[in-house]
Amino acid sequence: MSDDVLAVPFRQRAGSAMKDAFLQEALTIATTKFIGLRREAFEDFPEGETLRNRARAIKEATLQRLDHHLETLIGNVERLGGHVHYAATSEEARSIIVDIARRTGARMAVKSKSMATEEIHLNEALERAGITPVETDLGEYIIQLAHERPSHIIAPAIHKTKAQVAALFGRELKRPVEADPEVLTRIARGELREKFLQADLGITGANFAVADTGTVVLVTNEGNGRMVTSLPRVHVAVMGVEKVVPSLTDLMVFLAILAKSATGQKLSVYTSLVGGPRRPGELEGPEEFHLVLLDGGRIAQLGGPLREALSCLRCGACLNVCPVYRQIGGHAYGHTYPGPIGILLTAMLEGAPAVKDLAHASTLCGACAEACPVRIDIPRMLIELRREVDDTKIAPWAERVAFKLLARLLRHPGLYRLAARAGRVLQRPFATEGTVSRLPFFFDEWTRTRDLPAVAARTFQERWASEKDLRP
Amino acid sequence: MTTKAEFLERIRDQMRTTPGLFPASAARRPEHPAAEAETIRRELVERWPETLKTFRLEFERVGGVFHRVASLDAVPAVVGLLAHEREARELVTWHSAALGADLSQALEACGLAVHQMPAGEVVGTERERLRAIAARADLGLTGVDLAIAETGTLVLVSGAGRPRSTSLLPACHIAVFDRTALVESLRQVGVILEAWHEAGAPATGAAINFITGPSRTADIELTLTRGVHGPKEVHAIFVEQDIRG
Amino acid sequence: MTGRRRASLMVTCLGDLFFPEVGVSIVRLLRTLDVPVDVPPGQTCCGLPLFNSGYHTEAAAVARRTVSLFADSEHVVVPSGSCAWMIKHEYPGLLSGKGLAREAGELAARTHEFSQFLVKVLGVTELGSTVAGRVTYHDSCHLLRGLHESQSPRTLLGGLRGVELVDLPGADECCGFGGSFAVRLPEVSSQILAKKLANVEGTGASCLVACDAGCLMQMRGGLTRRKSRVRALHLAELLDGDRR
Repeated sequence: MSDDVLAVPFRQRAGSAMKDAFLQEALTIATTKFIGLRREAFEDFPEGETLRNRARAIKEATLQRLDHHLETLIGNVERLGGHVHYAATSEEARSIIVDIARRTGARMAVKSKSMATEEIHLNEALERAGITPVETDLGEYIIQLAHERPSHIIAPAIHKTKAQVAALFGRELKRPVEADPEVLTRIARGELREKFLQADLGITGANFAVADTGTVVLVTNEGNGRMVTSLPRVHVAVMGVEKVVPSLTDLMVFLAILAKSATGQKLSVYTSLVGGPRRPGELEGPEEFHLVLLDGGRIAQLGGPLREALSCLRCGACLNVCPVYRQIGGHAYGHTYPGPIGILLTAMLEGAPAVKDLAHASTLCGACAEACPVRIDIPRMLIELRREVDDTKIAPWAERVAFKLLARLLRHPGLYRLAARAGRVLQRPFATEGTVSRLPFFFDEWTRTRDLPAVAARTFQERWASEKDLRP
Repeated sequence: MTTKAEFLERIRDQMRTTPGLFPASAARRPEHPAAEAETIRRELVERWPETLKTFRLEFERVGGVFHRVASLDAVPAVVGLLAHEREARELVTWHSAALGADLSQALEACGLAVHQMPAGEVVGTERERLRAIAARADLGLTGVDLAIAETGTLVLVSGAGRPRSTSLLPACHIAVFDRTALVESLRQVGVILEAWHEAGAPATGAAINFITGPSRTADIELTLTRGVHGPKEVHAIFVEQDIRG
Repeated sequence: MTGRRRASLMVTCLGDLFFPEVGVSIVRLLRTLDVPVDVPPGQTCCGLPLFNSGYHTEAAAVARRTVSLFADSEHVVVPSGSCAWMIKHEYPGLLSGKGLAREAGELAARTHEFSQFLVKVLGVTELGSTVAGRVTYHDSCHLLRGLHESQSPRTLLGGLRGVELVDLPGADECCGFGGSFAVRLPEVSSQILAKKLANVEGTGASCLVACDAGCLMQMRGGLTRRKSRVRALHLAELLDGDRR
């Protein structure tokens, strides 16, 4: 994420987001809708719970033999005439793709929606190399015009109103454009159809890659995935190593739950299984197919505390139910991946220091883990990240001291009782009839917006010790 | 640049540090996919009216338009009517071998310019020409390899004479199928895909496309619109009489 | 016929310091049910605030103390779902390194959140109390998702005579407390709370019930700040209501 965004403290970014009336309305509508759609889809789907368990198991089993499955995948991709590349870092991935583009003489690349390509900041690298990247997913196209990053994993432009989109299109086309989604969709269809037909290079991510068959699986609703993998001469798919699944049978388990979790659909409109360059006699399909396998911090987590996060299907369900995401939206997180899973992925890709504040951007309510199709225990890992931030002393000194003090208090009942008595005394200027409405210093973080109960005149344990009617 | 060996070694290094989170296995693949697929087919032959009913329900639920005719002869009339309603003039179609019959003449008789996609290898500028035709055609006519009842999905395998663009570029996609294409569930599709793979592919083409209704998006204010990049409409014509014999 | 069950009350730090009346109500209710109650002395906290903020060594030390405090308890009854969750789910892991895994596991098995103790251990669904008016219930996150409990509190509320129990829209949505979250990100915490309270007031209820001191602190704090006529009470207080 850009440095100037991260220069603003997270709390402030969150505050700004909550003051953006458009964003607030968009977030409420979108997340509420997604929650309802997902709920309906699973209510209607009794096998859902079993399939989620199986999906979780398949992901874990795959990681347990990741080297084997990747070798199988690589072998099959090559057998089909494709090329496989290995990118340890984002920089390497960019370099590989720009090289392919240069070597094949590409001047324009059409892109299907890919969070992996967002993660590696590919577009800027292509532009620097004189290649024009064109986002074709409507949401990504919108944010590309706006020079923004996606604010949601599956609905990148959910923070934009139709008026804002119309203004963007109008600026691009140099004519006034009606703020009507049908009109805007028609415009995008026309503009991008030309690009699909002219582009030399198609770049996608991969929702899955089937090791047994060497097939890359793309899931879209718009059809841009099909366009991008059928019309240009060259197709490059960028994929995190954890996306490999062993077999077609495994794939079906994921397909059965992915769209339901993301948008409530039984299946997305287009699920495409593409296996390498076109076959003899095929009218469409690329001449060259390249699969770029991306590490970028994933491999280190195989043996790390964030291993479970490698099961993520990028469905976005956790974002929709997260009370924090629902208030602040995706941009406030400040990194490529927002929301609960986004915090874990940011830690994975950029290290624990990058999430010293984000690790606390959670009430640990568990709604994310409950919504996750593969049951990733996000709260557990958020706590682990907090622990790492504390242990490596990235957490502020004052905070660490305060908690150590608290710990001492809680281990010594005498100190605890003393603290209670001290609290009673100190609160006197601020307490009225058992309620405190204003406290000084740090404590005002609570009382600015909420009342606080006063420390009781007699704690329960004091009453138990002395009140005759309470005693047995 | 990282080599394959380096990359895999890094993975193995990490794998060595942990047995994993819990004992887990991948899905059980069918031991004899071809035999299992055959069993599925035999069972489905009995149940096809029920399967068709479910397919229709789900297909319409995702915005597809369902038609039913007695035999292939009746298909051109349906297409003709759709064309007339839409003032459509040009149609691209899969090659007759892929469709299971040659409907070109009958379609032309409805007043359509019909472009049948070639069955064999295409050279040089011919590819460009055919692409331009597909791009400007109003209607695309294809067959169907599998029709999944559970989700209302049409599965189309690409290949010579059955290009991807026919079901992708025209604004209106019309797919013709009979009961032999019907399957009930994604699970069954998995078995069939495994069987195809075991038999060597599908050998025809590099892409298998699952199509579940017309192209759509809700990216703008979560308002649903159709026909973003792919077709705005998908029609499925069920033919009662088996297409191939 | 099984023998009389004995309960030890783990009053919790927030309960002890800020909501002693809840502990009093629980003692009274359990006595009505012929359950002898004791309160092991020297209680402080289950350690959840330390655990959630990542101070696990410190949390383990507090956990170890708690395990020994309640070593002789037959049943440990806890008025907060979050504290009960901490003991049942996190103590065994936290203390495995200290060679106390067995004791922690045993304590976990004997520990119950208050409503679960009444309904699932004692088999009680009605307490014979009367409450007038409309009541609505908020599902605390740790009780709902950690302890998989949404029914027991509702059963007990449903057993109240005269009560009109109305569903709270978004009952399963977080109140925004989240422990230190409430003061680390107070603006976000308050906005989450505002939405929760809008739902509460929309029910027309005069009483909001929850089974967690953290949630009650947050929600009551918001309700009194906006001078709402809705009272936020712990389940035990409502069940004990007409005996005051």
